[in-house]
Order: sequence, then C-alpha cells, then structure tokens
Amino acid sequence: MANNFLEVNNVDFKAGGKTKVKNVSFSVQNEGDIICLLGPSGIGKTTILRTIAGLEKINNGSIIINNKTISSKKIHIEPEDRNISLAFQDNSLFPHYNVEKNILIGTEKKNKKKIKINAKEIVEFLNLKKILNKYPHEISAGEAQRSSLARALVSNPDLLLLDEPLSNVDQSFKEEIQVELKQLLSKSKITTIIVTHDSYEAFYLGSKCGIILNKQLKQFDDPYNVYHFPNSVEVVNFLNRGILIPAKVTSENSLENKDLGTIKGNFVKHYPNGSEVKLLLQPEDLEHDDKSNLKLEVVDRKFRGTNFIYTLKTPSELQIPVFVHSHHIHQHEIDEKFGIKRPIHIDHIVCF
Amino acid sequence: MFTNKFNIWFLSSLLISLLVIIPILTVSFSFFEDTSRYFDILKKTFLFEYIFNSLSLLVGVLILTFFLGVGSAYVVSFYKFPGVNFFKWALILSFAIPPYIYAYSLFAFFDNYGTAFTILKTLFGDGEYNKSIPKFDGMFGLILSISFSLYAYVYILARSSFLYQSQNLIDLGKNLGFSKFKSFYSIILPAARPAIVAGLSLVAMETLAEFGAVDFFSVNTLTTGIYNAWITFDDLAFANRISFFLLLFIFILFLTENLSRKKAKYHLDTRGGFKQKEKIKLSGTNSFFAFLFCFLLFFISFLFPLGQMLYWTIKFPENFFDINVINLLLNTLYLVGLSSLVLITFALISNYGNRVSRNKTLNFLSTLSISGYAIPGVILAVAFITFIAWFDENIIKSLGFLSIKKLFIGSVLGLIIVYFVRFYSLAFNGIKSGYEKINVSVDESAYLLGYSKRKTFLNIHVPYLRNSLLFVVILISLEIIRELPITLVLRPFNFETFATTAYISASEDMLEAAAVPSLFLILIAAFFITITSNYILKENNG
Repeated sequence: MANNFLEVNNVDFKAGGKTKVKNVSFSVQNEGDIICLLGPSGIGKTTILRTIAGLEKINNGSIIINNKTISSKKIHIEPEDRNISLAFQDNSLFPHYNVEKNILIGTEKKNKKKIKINAKEIVEFLNLKKILNKYPHEISAGEAQRSSLARALVSNPDLLLLDEPLSNVDQSFKEEIQVELKQLLSKSKITTIIVTHDSYEAFYLGSKCGIILNKQLKQFDDPYNVYHFPNSVEVVNFLNRGILIPAKVTSENSLENKDLGTIKGNFVKHYPNGSEVKLLLQPEDLEHDDKSNLKLEVVDRKFRGTNFIYTLKTPSELQIPVFVHSHHIHQHEIDEKFGIKRPIHIDHIVCF
Repeated sequence: MFTNKFNIWFLSSLLISLLVIIPILTVSFSFFEDTSRYFDILKKTFLFEYIFNSLSLLVGVLILTFFLGVGSAYVVSFYKFPGVNFFKWALILSFAIPPYIYAYSLFAFFDNYGTAFTILKTLFGDGEYNKSIPKFDGMFGLILSISFSLYAYVYILARSSFLYQSQNLIDLGKNLGFSKFKSFYSIILPAARPAIVAGLSLVAMETLAEFGAVDFFSVNTLTTGIYNAWITFDDLAFANRISFFLLLFIFILFLTENLSRKKAKYHLDTRGGFKQKEKIKLSGTNSFFAFLFCFLLFFISFLFPLGQMLYWTIKFPENFFDINVINLLLNTLYLVGLSSLVLITFALISNYGNRVSRNKTLNFLSTLSISGYAIPGVILAVAFITFIAWFDENIIKSLGFLSIKKLFIGSVLGLIIVYFVRFYSLAFNGIKSGYEKINVSVDESAYLLGYSKRKTFLNIHVPYLRNSLLFVVILISLEIIRELPITLVLRPFNFETFATTAYISASEDMLEAAAVPSLFLILIAAFFITITSNYILKENNG
C-alpha cells in the first residue's frame, strides 16, 4: 500500500455540509494509470474530484499522493500547492481571455517536472486550431469543454482529474477523442481520474473502474471484472446490461431455470446444491439457433448497428435480452418465435 | 471551501462591512432611545400627513417610472423605427437631471408669467394666459419631477433584461398563438421581472431619500419630518426613528416581492439555448407612434429642463459672471475622483472577500451594509456629525488628544466618508453583478493552475471586471455630481459644488441664478453619460 501513487483511505466526501459518499477507499498503483469513477448523476463523483483537488476539505481518513498526505482531518494543502489539474464539466474558461491564452495559461504553472505534453500537440489533437482566437462566449459548450481539457493537460500535473470530459462533445468526435486521449495520457504518463456516467467510456479509458451507488463505492476493479463479475445487485441494475432470473443450483457447475432448463458454466462464487439464487443473464450469454426446440416469443428488437438485441418473453413472463449479430441471415419480427441454442452454457455464472 | 477561514480577505471584507453598517445601526438603535416632545407634537399634528404624503409620492413615482421605463425599454428593444439607435442612448440622458433641477424647470416654465407665458405672449401677443397654463406644483409636480429624472434606472435595467431574452422565448409565444400584447405581459415582462424590480427599488430608495425637490415644492414627507426633527427640535433620535421606518418600509416591500417569486428562475442558461433576437420593423402609424413616444420622453425628461436652464442663462448672462465656474468644476471633480477611488477599492476588496470566504455572517453583514443607500443623505450627514462629536468628546479628549472635529466635520475627508456610506451599495452591487457573471469554477481553475488568491484577484478578476468598474465609476460620479444634502451639511467653508450653488440660489428664490450651475451640472453629467453610454447600455443585466 505504501508504494501506491495515490491512496484514498476511509474518506467521507462532503459538499455543502452534506455527506455525498461515505467511507471511500481506493488506490492508484502506478504513476500514469487511468481510473474511472462511474455512477448516476448527483451521486457525488464530482465531489470526490473536488476533494482530491483540494477544493473541499475532509474530516476523516486521508488522501495521499506519492507518500505525501495532502488531505486529512488536520492537513489541508491548498489547491494551488497540489499540482493537480481539474477540468470542470461546465465552462470554467477565463471569460476575458481567448481560447489560446486560456490554454497557454496552463503552461505558466510553476512546475518542476519536465514538460510532458506540448500545447501545439494538444491543440491539434483536440481540434482547437480554428477557435484559438475566439473568446469563451463565442464558442460552443463542446468546444469550451475541449479547451478546458487542453488547459488541464498542458499544465503538466502530477494528477489529472477530468469531470465528464466528453459529455458535451459530439458523438462522432467523441470516439476519436477517446482513442487519442487514452494514447496521449499513457504516452505522457499522467495519472488520471476520470468521472463519467458513460460505462462504455469508463470501460475503454480506465485501467480500473469504481462504481459509486447509494453513497458508497460499491466496486473498484478492472473494467472486465466490473462488467462480468458485478459484486452486487445494485451494480447489475446500474450497468443495465442483463437481468436477474430465478434459478436453482443443481450441481457445482449447473443450475436450473423453469423456462430455460439446464444452464451450465463456471460459478464465480460457490453455492450449495438446492440453493435458490438469482442468476445474472447478460445479452451475450444466450445464443440464437433457429433449429432449437427452445422457442421464445419476440417482444422487442433493438438495432444497434453491429448487432440486434432481441427481448424475449418466457412462459413465466420474464423478459430476456439476447444479442444477435446484425449480419445474421434473417431478422425476427415482434410476436415471432425465436430459438435459443441448447444446452445453454455461460462462461462465468454470476448469482446473488 | 475555505469556510470559516479567517484570511486577510475575510478580515478586510468584514471591516469594510462593519464601517458601512455603523450609521445603519445608529438609525436602527434609535428605536430604543428617548425622543423629545417633538414626537408627541408630530403625532398629534402632521405625522399622518407625512406618512400619507410619502406613500402617495412613492406610489405615484413607482407607477410612472414603471410605465415610462418599461415602455421605452420595450419599444427600443423589440422594434426598429426611425431614430431608434439615437433614442437607445438618448433616453438615459435624463440621468443628468437631478429631481431638484427638474423641479426648478417645471415650476419656472408653468409659473405665472413664466417661460410658457413668455412663449405664448411672443407667439400670440398679450393675453390672460396665466389662467389657462396648468400649474405643476405640490405633490403632482414632485411626482413628475422625480419620475422623469429617475425613470432611466428602470429603463436601463429593463432594456438590458430584454436584450438578453432569447428569440426562442418570443417564438414560443407565437407558437402558442399569443397576441403581441399577451406575449408581452405573460412572457417578456415576467422574464424581466427581477431587473424591473431592481430598477424600481433604486427609484424607491431615491424617492424616499429625495431632499432638494421635496423641499422646493414644500411637500411634507417623512424626509421633511427628519429634517425638521433635526433642524427645529434638535432631536436626532426621532429623526433616526423616522429613517428606520423608511428603511423598514422599503425592506418589507421588496421582501414581499422576493417571496412572491418563490423558486422561479428568471434567467436562462444560455448554453445551447440562446438565440439572438430579431427586431420587428415598424412602418406607418406604428412607426410614427413609437418615434413620438420616445421623442416626447426624451424631450420632456432631458431637453425641456436643459432648454429652460439654457434660456435663463442666456436671458440673464450676468449670473454667469457671478460664479466661479472653474472653481466649482474642480471642486466637483475632486470629490468625484476621490470618492470613486475609495468606493471602488473598498467595494472590490469586500466583494472578493465575500467570494472567497463564503461565510454566511459576512454575507449577511454585506447585505445589511448596502442598505445605507436607503437612508436619506440628511440623516447620514447628521448621524456622522453626532458620532464624531461623541467620539471626540468621550474618547479623544479623555485621552488627552487634540480635538479631531475639524478633521472630519466641514472637511473633504468627512464628505468622502459619508459619500462612502451612502453610495457603497452602488459600488458593491455594481461589482457584485459583474462578479456573478464569473463562474466560481473559474476561480477554482485559477487555484488549480497554481494562482494564489491575490494573483487570482489581480490577474483574473480585476481585468475581467474592468468594464463593470468603469460602469460603477460613472454611476458614482453621476450621484456625486447631483448629490445635495450631504454636501450641503458637511462641505468645508466656502467649498461649493454646482449642486450646492444651484440649491442655495433656488432656496433664496433666485431661480434664474440657479440656472447657470444647474446648466453646468447637466452638461457635465451628460458628458459622463455620453462617453460611457455604449457600456451603460450593454452592462448590468441584473
């Protein structure tokens, strides 16, 4: 623990006198790591960033960077002395400076570290060249957000905090920025905490993801684990990527559902035979098979470009999502029957 | 963040607020002091009349300034017609006319054998015109004088608010099938409500504190009561008590309005939703009436008093040589420069202290401190004299020091201090409205970029607030050029301004002699307004 780059130990994060997230602990192991904090709006993600930046104080626990305590009940290093940059979600550009000056002001920061990122490179990557001479009130919300991101990046911080950095950026440009941002951060080895409510963004950018729900950090793990091995029903519901269906454990690698029959796979957690559980069924867990005798009624079909997600109704009125590649030979209409391949095999069986 | 942090900014801000609060507290505490027999006499005689007159004056002025200010702001903001660009700034020139000079002009024009009589006689020969010339004196004249002089407060703030209304709002009205009139009163007007109320509150405070015009028309208001309590009965406690009632009345009025808004928001988040307004081009009769309305307002509020003063100056040129114009000009500018410097510096520090401290007590004290604007100048001047006399007698002399009375009473220093208390709210609010446009995350970004609080203040806030500061300087300058009662009571011996010279001549029934200083006062004020009109018209959208 002592050698972690950043440590947050048992901290209650407060804003405006109210506790937003309780007893949070997590760490960032290496300099240059990117972690993402995911959670619904208003849950306190921004408060966590503001506190790490020194804009809010703490009454318990500690925040340590490079073995130096920057926040605790007794210690509070002022934000200007932390060398932490925070790119705010709203427009925090200096209104009387043009975009160029706003970005370059980041380079004026007293910094002993060797410059990692060059302003020109950032301007090009964030496509800001055309608006360099414009003032904050003359640019769009997305442009303001990118300018703010650029300023935070060029300030060459020890820790970069990004609050919903791409929430106002056009979808078409968003994916391109995500890729380049990830490359840039990893090349420049700037440790970064990104707050977002977009799980895809978090899973792509973060080497670790924290899920904040009901005033708690519910899970802090690799994106793969968060997705495939959610540790609570709340995380499953938040990610909204599957449903929980009732099932009975029949052996150490199988369980039984009234509508789907036997389901085989590897249990993530052991349950004794005969246990009544709720099985997490994700869209990619079931396979479509026209020839199968297990047929369910289609109640909805969502086209997602590369795939369809069919919602199927079981005899006991459960609605199950199933993922099918969009190049599949034929489409199924609403009310038609849809075959599920048997026997059903799920790589990792997650139950609650 | 930084809650309860006693930094230098917090302390400076606290000290400034406390300094301004002293006279307000003096006024409030007077409620518990003994008063002389004047109170009993007044209660049995004129108190009801004073209250009734003050209320009538206030209601009359508020109604008239509302219609003139909002009406003119609406016409120039939403329509295109010949001269609209001229009227846009010309309508603020009425700021250059203090109510007492308007009162002199109004009286003189319609008086028996006055200017109106002379014009009719010149045009139509001898006749009994006096009987058919209406008389605008007493309460009616007073309401007209104050309204035409002060409506520009409502005009400027309402216009700014209209200017920042998105075309989307207007389009929404059309989409809902509203008529132009319905769109105006159900969409445009409610959205501008805070700005209009802010304008009206300034008008209300100025009206209740007005001394020159009230004195000229001999209308007995609470202000007259305050003056009499002090001058005739030497009863400062009772004078303070009446002032306290005035303050309380204004406070209740605007608190009621504020509560009635509940949680409604009146400004739009412009992110992604603001659309520049398209002015409607008027033609034919509509265009003519819009022009006529603006022209008449400009004429009545500015050209008429200016013309009257100019007429007298030309007609009685000897008065021009009786006063030392250069000396009066230098005195006026000296007061303006010093006061602006002091007010701007302290109001800036106080605002920034409030912003970084985020301390509720400090915020409350600052809010209280700005109510000094509602205390009539007469009371502030008298309260100051009383305080200095008490301090000198009980503290300074008992410590064996020389008297400090001369340093503060009848000195420029004393004048500046009382101006400071009186106009602090203008400076504080003017800068505050500029500050409200700077998102707090801008400060936080500066800190995170390594800026100290001092550097953030000097490098980020001051340059950004430059325009707001200029606006505040002009507002203060205009107020001080026109200011009468404080200057009259506290000025050094033989130190006159255009305002005091005009008042002294008028009070000696020499209205013609008041014309020269009045004319210069108008011209200087108009010059200040003109050079900054572009800014005044853009700024302060409340």
